[in-house]
Amino acid sequence: MSARPIPGIDGKAATDLPVLKPFDPQGRAAHDPYMLTRMVARLNAWHVLTLFAVIALWPAVAHAQSNYTYGEAFAALWKWIPFVVQQGFLFNILISFFAMAIGTAAGAILGLMQISPSAFVRYPAAFITQLFRNSPWLVLLFIVLLAFPFEIEIFGFIIPIPAWMKAVFGLSLPIMANIAEVVRGAVQSVPSGQWEASQSLGFSRRQTLWEIILPQCFKRMIPPWMNWYAILTMATPLCSLLGVEEIVTLSRQAIEAEDNHPELLVPFFGFALLIFFAYCYPIARWTIALERRFAVKL
Amino acid sequence: MGMKRVKRALKNTVAATVAFAFAASSTAALAAECSNDTWNKVMERGKIVVGVKADYKPWGFRSENGDLVGMEIDMAKKVAEIMGVELELVAVQSSNRMQFLEQGKTDMFIATMSDRPDRREIVGIIQPNYYTSGTNVLAPKALGISSWEDLRGKPVCGKQGAFYNKIVTERYGAEVVAFTGNAEAKQALRDRKCIAWVYDDSSIGSDLASGNWDDFEMPLNSEDDNPWGLAVPLAEKNCIFGNFMSGVVFNMLQSGELIELEKKWGIQPTAFLADKKDKYGDWLANQ
Repeated sequence: MSARPIPGIDGKAATDLPVLKPFDPQGRAAHDPYMLTRMVARLNAWHVLTLFAVIALWPAVAHAQSNYTYGEAFAALWKWIPFVVQQGFLFNILISFFAMAIGTAAGAILGLMQISPSAFVRYPAAFITQLFRNSPWLVLLFIVLLAFPFEIEIFGFIIPIPAWMKAVFGLSLPIMANIAEVVRGAVQSVPSGQWEASQSLGFSRRQTLWEIILPQCFKRMIPPWMNWYAILTMATPLCSLLGVEEIVTLSRQAIEAEDNHPELLVPFFGFALLIFFAYCYPIARWTIALERRFAVKL
Repeated sequence: MGMKRVKRALKNTVAATVAFAFAASSTAALAAECSNDTWNKVMERGKIVVGVKADYKPWGFRSENGDLVGMEIDMAKKVAEIMGVELELVAVQSSNRMQFLEQGKTDMFIATMSDRPDRREIVGIIQPNYYTSGTNVLAPKALGISSWEDLRGKPVCGKQGAFYNKIVTERYGAEVVAFTGNAEAKQALRDRKCIAWVYDDSSIGSDLASGNWDDFEMPLNSEDDNPWGLAVPLAEKNCIFGNFMSGVVFNMLQSGELIELEKKWGIQPTAFLADKKDKYGDWLANQ
């Protein structure tokens, strides 16, 4: 797909020097936060072509069980694509954008709170982070969708909160917690000698953080941040379980309008799979490429 | 000294809480009378928000440009027209239609809901009922299912949120596997993950008529013929909103408008609507 191979993924590893892996007393493989992204990024043109072939050739292999043909099913899909994309998939993207924006802003604050010298700030921040990091996303979505009002009144103005906006809040909570960990991890990955050096040069703690440490962190936070964005985007169809109108909900409604022929399932959900793949694959490739480039040299 | 202060503060807090609780309960008592909140809100905003189905052809489904259409949408249009307000449609599912109404997200709903005693405790289901359907199963002819008892202990596919899932489980001991969509449930039936698909008899009837289910049959006598009801908030059932809706439904039944809609959307004519038209018939018109 992409012209330039990523070393170690689909190209030759960049170095043949032995690399010191993190020590693990039980001999397990080190935890890889990029597992999902790496999996997606590792797919090559052959995988994608096979996927297309399976979906396109499905009618030929599937056992015909009724008068309704796969040709008709694909014709139905073609008819519904504008609706499913414009009113469905665009909302998946919109939800992922806003959830990422809110999650990043809140996560950055929460991450910096976790490295505060004051225990009163540090402990609650750590608690919130762990709480939302370890809760199932669907449970958080349920709570937010059912507990949040559908409209709020401010100074006599009625501001409606559509269901997809509530989904944004629901999904931004786990993103916030995970981004907080990314920020905390990035700050702590800067060698402590830099803190000591800036202290000896007369920098205050705030100056050290903003002018010395964070500028270095920014670069190394980009790959994990994009990793979380891809994971979030792939998680947005969860909202369909709660009736938020996005691609899966609308595909289901389109199937209903086409009289619920089971033959419609593969074309419609196959299409959803392809469109998610087309969106997430470049992100995954880019993430892994950046991760390689910014990796701490050992 | 300090202890005494804490005690006094506690006493005050308790007193305040009790007073608050009393105040709250007296407003609750007032609410039992008619506050007509929803009705007034609709009139004030000039817009009624109606929950309808988007996954139940032909009662409520999507047209290709994404608009909600169907028999129940036509009913909602009629309601808005009579009230002289704008109509906003919200797509609801069987599993959330009552919650949306309780939350106030919708002002009322017309969403293929069977009128059940437990549901009457949650939402204000309007009399008279406007439609009816029974429960039946779609099953492969090869299995030769002949009675509901044949389902005992067997997996049966269903749709989430349907009340008869519980009934076939409790009465006939079937193991219901409920799906979010009908297409998924039908695919599961074809894949032999279940021996039958339990659903509304009118919908199964139209599937069989389509000629796509030649190896299948609807072998049982329909059970639990259950009228459908539209609903307003429970607190307003006996107030302006509820009484108004009763009138609208009555007139649609009496005038035969619902029979017209049934025809328009290609639904098999039901005895229910014909009976109601007869029963409620205007005695002067027939002289």
